[in-house]
Amino acid sequence: MKSTKFTPVPLTKAETDKKWWEIGDFFRRNSLWLLMYCTGCCAIELPPAMTSAYDMERLGMGPMATPRQADILLVSGYLSLKTLRRLIYTYEQMSEPRYVVALGSCPINGGIYHDSHAVINQLDQYIPVDVYVAGCMPNTEAVMNGFVDLMDQIKHKRANGWKKYHENYSWYKANQITSLGEVDVHDEFHE
Amino acid sequence: MNSMNNIERVKEIVEKVAKVRKFEQIDKFQIAFEIEKNDVHQTLSALKLAGWKQLSYLSAIDWIETSKFELVYVLFNWDEALYIQIRAMIEREAAEMNSIISIFPGAKYYEREAHEFFGINFPGNPDYHKQLILENWDDIPPLRKDFDPSVYSDRKFPKREYSVDYSVKDPENKSFEKIKEREKRALSLRTGGQKK
Repeated sequence: MKSTKFTPVPLTKAETDKKWWEIGDFFRRNSLWLLMYCTGCCAIELPPAMTSAYDMERLGMGPMATPRQADILLVSGYLSLKTLRRLIYTYEQMSEPRYVVALGSCPINGGIYHDSHAVINQLDQYIPVDVYVAGCMPNTEAVMNGFVDLMDQIKHKRANGWKKYHENYSWYKANQITSLGEVDVHDEFHE
Repeated sequence: MNSMNNIERVKEIVEKVAKVRKFEQIDKFQIAFEIEKNDVHQTLSALKLAGWKQLSYLSAIDWIETSKFELVYVLFNWDEALYIQIRAMIEREAAEMNSIISIFPGAKYYEREAHEFFGINFPGNPDYHKQLILENWDDIPPLRKDFDPSVYSDRKFPKREYSVDYSVKDPENKSFEKIKEREKRALSLRTGGQKK
């Protein structure tokens, strides 16, 4: 009679890590915490998404007040140079893995602010973006769909923006320097 | 007291201390005086004594054709519904206006803003030259009319490049012929509900 005793198959370090990442990703994608960077008008789509109308909670998502405990950096709308500087600060404070969801057409190509002296045109030149939700502004359905897309990407290991940021760090930094001059924040109210 | 009496009263106050170049009544609750640059301080303090004790806004307009900046001081009264605009023209080259922070201390930040966006100097304000809204600005002040924001944007911010894959109505395009054939066939099949 064949033994029913469980004999573990020896795994290499890489294989074990992969398995743990899969387990981690399973729990992570079902419990995503949003850090909402509500700078632009697309933030008006979040109240219906969070409250009973579309109820973000049923996807296991919730708002988080601090960058270090959050999984998703939600950029809702246009980014001026000033806010981009703070956004990069915030992004670098977040613990990994971290994902970026950008709402609206402004982070994609500048939107209606494409020729402004103060608003950047393309967010993914400065930090990696996992999901774009197009529209000016996007429907709440589209926003929710963007979150579901992100969960799908995490499941299929395609939400690799934070890894890209490590690999191409010098490229991202060079772009930030070109547009911002200096990423450090100096203002009289904090010094 | 109705607003007509108010307007007459304000006119008297302003004409006593300044030479009014132009008076304009914008609507029932807004009036504007255009006065000389040197009379601005006296007028503002006289109006402050008369009850217009809040400076709502200080802004500037760039009249590039006549090479002037127009400064607009908007005063607000908490007891009477009447806004007063005090306007003064200053030269555009090396623009300078004495600060009014001795009359309205809150003007400190408005003056800094005007310096940042128009390049107007405000001697008397100890830190008008400090940056307030723009950070690390490296061009001429952005709200001057000779500043081109789209050129600046093109130079500073990378643009997304799109591949040109939309269809163009090109007579040599084969797919265009196909579309025409399909239309012709659709027309030939159309019989108006009768059998052929």
